[in-house]
Amino acid sequence: MKRTFIKATPIACMSMLLLAGCGDKNTISFWTPLTGDDGVFMDEMIDEYNATDPEFKVEHVITSDMYTKMYTVMNSGSGIPDLAIIHADRVPSFVKQGMLEPMTDVIRSQEGLQAENYLEQAYHSGNIDGVQYTIPLDIHANAMYYNQDLLSKYGVEHFLDDDVVTFDELLSLQGKLEDGDYAVNDSLISWVILAQIQNLGGDIEDENGNPAINTPEMKQAIEAVKGIADAGLMTPYGEDGYLMFQSGNVLFSTDGTWTSTAHEMVDGLSFGVTNIYAFDSDVFHNRASSHLFTLLTNEDRSDEKEAGIADFLEWLRTNSMKWAEAGQIVASNQVFEDSSYNQYTQSFFTENQKQVDSLYIYTYEYYPYVAEALDTYAADMVHGNLDIEEGLETMQKFVEDKIAEGVN
Amino acid sequence: MKLNGRLTPTFFIGPHLIFFLVFFLLPSITGIYASFTQWNLINDPVWVGGSNYRTILFDTNSTFHHQFINGLKNTLLFVALSVPLLIVIPLLIAVSLEHKKVKMKNLIQAIIYVPGLISISAAALIWGLIFNNQLGVANNLFGVDVAWAATQPYAWIIIIIITLWGGVGGNLIIYRASIHGVSRDLFEAAEMDGAGPIRKFFSVTIPSIRFPLIYTFVMTTAGCFNVFGQPLMMTSGGPNQSTTVLMMYIRDLAFSHGESIAGMASAMAVLLGLVILIISAFQYYLLNRNAS
Amino acid sequence: MANRIDLSKYVAYLFLLIACFLWVVPLIFGVSTSFRSQTEVVNVGFRLLPVNWVVENYMGVLNNTSTAPILKWLWNSVFIATSHALLVVAMVAITAYGYTRLTFKGRDTLFFVLLAISLFPGVVNLIPSYKIIDTLGWVNTPWAMIFPGLAGMGNLFLVRQFMLGIPKELDECAKIDGANDFRIFYSIILPLVRPVLIVVFLFSFTGSWNDFLWPVIVYTDVNKMPITAGLLLLQDIYGNYRMIGQLMASALIAIIPTVLLFLFAQKHFVKSINLNAGLKG
Repeated sequence: MKRTFIKATPIACMSMLLLAGCGDKNTISFWTPLTGDDGVFMDEMIDEYNATDPEFKVEHVITSDMYTKMYTVMNSGSGIPDLAIIHADRVPSFVKQGMLEPMTDVIRSQEGLQAENYLEQAYHSGNIDGVQYTIPLDIHANAMYYNQDLLSKYGVEHFLDDDVVTFDELLSLQGKLEDGDYAVNDSLISWVILAQIQNLGGDIEDENGNPAINTPEMKQAIEAVKGIADAGLMTPYGEDGYLMFQSGNVLFSTDGTWTSTAHEMVDGLSFGVTNIYAFDSDVFHNRASSHLFTLLTNEDRSDEKEAGIADFLEWLRTNSMKWAEAGQIVASNQVFEDSSYNQYTQSFFTENQKQVDSLYIYTYEYYPYVAEALDTYAADMVHGNLDIEEGLETMQKFVEDKIAEGVN
Repeated sequence: MKLNGRLTPTFFIGPHLIFFLVFFLLPSITGIYASFTQWNLINDPVWVGGSNYRTILFDTNSTFHHQFINGLKNTLLFVALSVPLLIVIPLLIAVSLEHKKVKMKNLIQAIIYVPGLISISAAALIWGLIFNNQLGVANNLFGVDVAWAATQPYAWIIIIIITLWGGVGGNLIIYRASIHGVSRDLFEAAEMDGAGPIRKFFSVTIPSIRFPLIYTFVMTTAGCFNVFGQPLMMTSGGPNQSTTVLMMYIRDLAFSHGESIAGMASAMAVLLGLVILIISAFQYYLLNRNAS
Repeated sequence: MANRIDLSKYVAYLFLLIACFLWVVPLIFGVSTSFRSQTEVVNVGFRLLPVNWVVENYMGVLNNTSTAPILKWLWNSVFIATSHALLVVAMVAITAYGYTRLTFKGRDTLFFVLLAISLFPGVVNLIPSYKIIDTLGWVNTPWAMIFPGLAGMGNLFLVRQFMLGIPKELDECAKIDGANDFRIFYSIILPLVRPVLIVVFLFSFTGSWNDFLWPVIVYTDVNKMPITAGLLLLQDIYGNYRMIGQLMASALIAIIPTVLLFLFAQKHFVKSINLNAGLKG
């Protein structure tokens, strides 16, 4: 039936003439979600790599809606890229859906692509049941920027002494700030809460792999953050706390490692970076994710091409200093241990092992649903629009209902 | 001639029908089929019968039931608030522009139309800045101290404002093109009978453009049912999901970060489609009857 | 009587003045924001115009030639939107004639069934639609953007409504004179619906121009992309980083052609032939 229609249309005949040969045999088609300046940095690295005259050149495709596009090509089975960058959150469910191929052969053909050459948690986030599915490019984490001028104005530079600002320190500002000034904004508030759960020794899954949202730790975490808002120290609900930090009205901004480049565009804003606030200066975490190289399932990918991919990844491992310019924490040891890396703001997070350990990547299979639940409900709980008990129950149910709809 | 006559409909409506079947009906059938399955967009859909519909409509404990009810309620509220304004405001502007003595018609029309061309993300930024507590005009010039996006009813107000700003221009153009086609004689005849501007509006203008009016009513309503860009950009659905429209839930289910729940999303989309259909049919029936 | 007309003039003027003011201020604010530095954007207080006009936002968008070949994108978009809009106008005019002037069994039922189907939201139709385009071999070609939209019902519904407003007496006279349907369509109906066809051209051109979801799915080759999808590659990040000046600049660059088309078209869609002329007498 469908055939007849297609044959009947003159346009379809035209299309036959236009049918382009897809995918060059000697290039690696490489998809990334790196829009904007990130894509430019990646392009520069790829140009540099292609200039080394490798057997397989890399062709970079940036897609603003990459995951939707991945679903469409995976579903139709044609046009699947040779190599792609995905976020750490996606790995478990992609593996479960059979979308990823193990990196085993790639790692075998290039010795450098071993775990010991990368930040451990970034590498580990691609490991499912002992099989390695990804190679990391970077870690991008929740980070807390501070406004140097405001810190001195209120005489609280000592908050930074131990590199951790605590809840108590923040609360000590209560009643001391001028009208219109705030201690902290509510950017990426669900990431901040996810860090507190680690600080409290909790988790988002129980020992059986079931989601654990309605937990004492989650409750304590949200109540603590709400305490800051209740004290009038947090930028009001619905206000753009990020812009308020840039306009110099907020002491601390809890956004991401990658935003340093944007903050630098504001003249007269003297800022630095530190850890997300915590209960105690000894135990602190920053919720993180990672850009990971991966192979989408595709039977047409030849062994030679996989070797070519390995060459490219190995080259990037040793030549990705450029990626630091994008504000990301480069995952390759060789890069972040290089002294020229210290000029970048985010080098703060790899200064010592304690800092490295603070970067926490959730690897729970249903993490995306948990994050979605927090994104939906956390702000309303923190700002007092939603009772915390009720919110926790709703979130627990939200995640369970979504999991139950999965095809098993 | 006779043979020609029989084939004429094929020639006039045939090409469109083919396109419709290939590019609209075929995907829609797949979509409706998907609503009876569990599907993650990657693997083959698994048939579950009416289970998605049962969950959405009757399982009062289910998250999906809550999402559907809340989303539909908010969507209906948005439609009820914005559709009348999206009809009346452009109509009044069009009528005012038809006034013989009004000058700079094209400039005025351009000013109203151009905002609709700007991308929703840029438009949201403009209005976000205008209503920003620190930086904005609303608070600095008028001294209103409200966090617009997080307080009701202001959250709805800014959503409606940005919708009107971008949406009035399209209908305005349709009304202008239609009113311009109305015979001058009709207006002159009405004036002879001593009709004032208001009488003329109701007894000449409105009846003369009734068919385009029906069109704008039905299509504006259907468009508003599909809204999601404005609330997503202006309020992210808050506070307390009071501005989360159904389309936002549907998109999240199908294309969010976790494994896709496309079967459930399709079922919600089909139900939304039925609501749109019933309301559009009702509107069409009502307006068409009154018109003829 | 004279007083009454004058009063209506003032009411019309006042209403238009208020509307224009409300519509134009955000527009000016948007344009002026594209000439502000980030430092100025985040400064407290409201100013309609920038204190220091800067062009860096535009330069930033235009200079990013490696990932953003803007001139190529513009050309792609012009080709896609123009061909799409021309085909829509032709298709819609012919089809609307079929649904209003021809008599065949089930005509109105068929039309309303199609319209009803088209009202269903097509969010999850993305994947089946892609499969069809893929089967046709249209991935990464402009045809993927030009042809599927011809199936749309919105414009058809609009033109059909306009044609319903044309009195039947007109074509009946012509029929008595021996004209066939092709002739009636071409020489009587077509000139009468010209204004609305110009509106349809404008709407489908801008619709095709502004579509971003679909082109993101069907294009991988950055050089073949239309501009709205291309600029999205930049806008995403501007939005996330609240780089407001750049976002505004890129959004405004993208609408220049559609604004020009509108300014050109608006002279024509009100310069119509009087629908009822020649009939009333």
